[in-house]
Amino acid sequence: MTLTTTSFDWVRALVHKESAIVLQPGKEYLVEARLLPIAREKGMPDVTQFVESVRTRPDADCNRRIVEALTTNETSWFRDGDPFTALTSTVMPSLLAARGPNERLQIWSAACSSGQEPYTIAMLLEDALPNAATRVSITATDLSREMVTRTRAGRFSQLEVNRGLPAPMLVRHFVRAGNEWEVAPALRRMVTASECNLAAPLPRMGPFDVVYLRNVLIYFDLPTKQAILRRVRDLMRPDGWLFLGAAETTLGVDDSWERVVVGRSSAYRPLKGK
Amino acid sequence: MRALVIDDSKVMRRIVAGILEGLGYEVQQAGHGREGLDVLEGGYVPDLVCVDWNMPVMDGLQFVSAVRSNPAWRQVTIMMVTSESEHGQIVRALAAGAHEYVIKPFTADAIRDKLALLGLLPEEVVL
Amino acid sequence: MTGSVTDTGDRRRTSDAPLLITELIDEETVQSIAQEAWSALIGDDEFLVPLPGGLPDDAVSSWVEIVGAWSGSVVLTCGRSTAEQLARCLLAEHAPPVLDAEDVQDALGELANVVGGNVKAVLPGHSVLGLPEVGSAPEPGPDALRVDLLWRGQSLTITAQGSAGAPTARTNNQYENEVPL
Repeated sequence: MTLTTTSFDWVRALVHKESAIVLQPGKEYLVEARLLPIAREKGMPDVTQFVESVRTRPDADCNRRIVEALTTNETSWFRDGDPFTALTSTVMPSLLAARGPNERLQIWSAACSSGQEPYTIAMLLEDALPNAATRVSITATDLSREMVTRTRAGRFSQLEVNRGLPAPMLVRHFVRAGNEWEVAPALRRMVTASECNLAAPLPRMGPFDVVYLRNVLIYFDLPTKQAILRRVRDLMRPDGWLFLGAAETTLGVDDSWERVVVGRSSAYRPLKGK
Repeated sequence: MRALVIDDSKVMRRIVAGILEGLGYEVQQAGHGREGLDVLEGGYVPDLVCVDWNMPVMDGLQFVSAVRSNPAWRQVTIMMVTSESEHGQIVRALAAGAHEYVIKPFTADAIRDKLALLGLLPEEVVL
Repeated sequence: MTGSVTDTGDRRRTSDAPLLITELIDEETVQSIAQEAWSALIGDDEFLVPLPGGLPDDAVSSWVEIVGAWSGSVVLTCGRSTAEQLARCLLAEHAPPVLDAEDVQDALGELANVVGGNVKAVLPGHSVLGLPEVGSAPEPGPDALRVDLLWRGQSLTITAQGSAGAPTARTNNQYENEVPL
């Protein structure tokens, strides 16, 4: 059975609410293709029956997986580039001015996926700062062991480097390795990758000057969001900067942050005394 | 916004043109670099040119050099879309004056991401 | 650099004997190149399964020639009906109601171009890629690497075949040191 309009509309609404991504009519095939593996795993014969079962008996885990299945290949380099522009235009100059010449800045990419975000940060810093590797270290973490391994390897397929990586940066910072592209050793030395579950007590890390926690909170309920933000705050310097996804905010979730506008982006900074 | 798609494969032209039209572009097509120059010389000066590398008559690299040598076309953004995928080839294309480079095979998302980098994406984009 | 086939120039032999294709690229790499082309151009969930299937009698080929540090061609072969389906998938919503023979040939040629261009990029040294051709491909000699694949249960093959000894085999050596890796 092909996907019914009711099921499709429900999925569209869910994805829009959780990720701010619009699925247009005509994308039924995309929903079918992406959700079929989950439907099968849940023992459902087709996607419509799977969606109907989640629609009538809400299941937070299934909701999260549906949104993830329809949004996760959005792993691109500079997509939504404003938080990166903000890093080099405002955040780094202010932090470098506030720190001593021998203090190393620490940046955390808290949901690094296959490594595009930490290496994007590394490329920008390498281009903007002399001796970037001695001034900055980047900690990359992800829930998935596979993603951590991929981040460490720093190798990307042709299709991956096609996704929003400016060609001048590709030729400056990557070499070909067989049919893939490999990040230059200087950048790999700046990035340390490890596993980390944000929804559980965090390992001893930091303190971080800048944290990128983008498109993570959308997958969690309010109490978990609050707990994550609290734990992240505990690992940050008092004058640190937090970047969330474009559709995410601390407003109405945790009032111990101050929202500041940086260029075309928003950042969040720990409020003093909270 | 206006675009010109140059590729000797009609199928590939239709695919790239279709993606750009879906993003709101007005698109013209040409089958090789010389035909592409004819379109420009005819007065159709686009915001964006997507150009293949290997084509008969005039290849993409020669086309890029020709466009860059004419100050009247300074505003034209050029993106190469080609299966040439060596590091050195991308360097050559950028040195000749291409702004961006998409390696074939590509997805519609890849084209969209590159246009976003170039500031050539219409504001509202939906999947 | 850790890339196993990244060109440093020192792998090239000083003698006139060209390297065999099987010394330069393996089946797995060719398959992964083809798989990327299929995922991106044919469809998100289109898989190439590395199993031999046997080509139908009406098989058609498209190929691109590579001339330079390595010379030969990359050939894609499949049945006519498979070729039509590939053309339809490639064009997707931009396909006309009736595909003419020219569209099918064009599509098949473009797939050979995409796979061939990426195969060329893995090979050492600088080479030049020719324009795609469609028809009956030149017979492979002993210097060939053939990958048998199944797409939607239909077989297709991708063959990288050297043209050692052919007049074009050792031209364009002036490009040897150009690729700035």
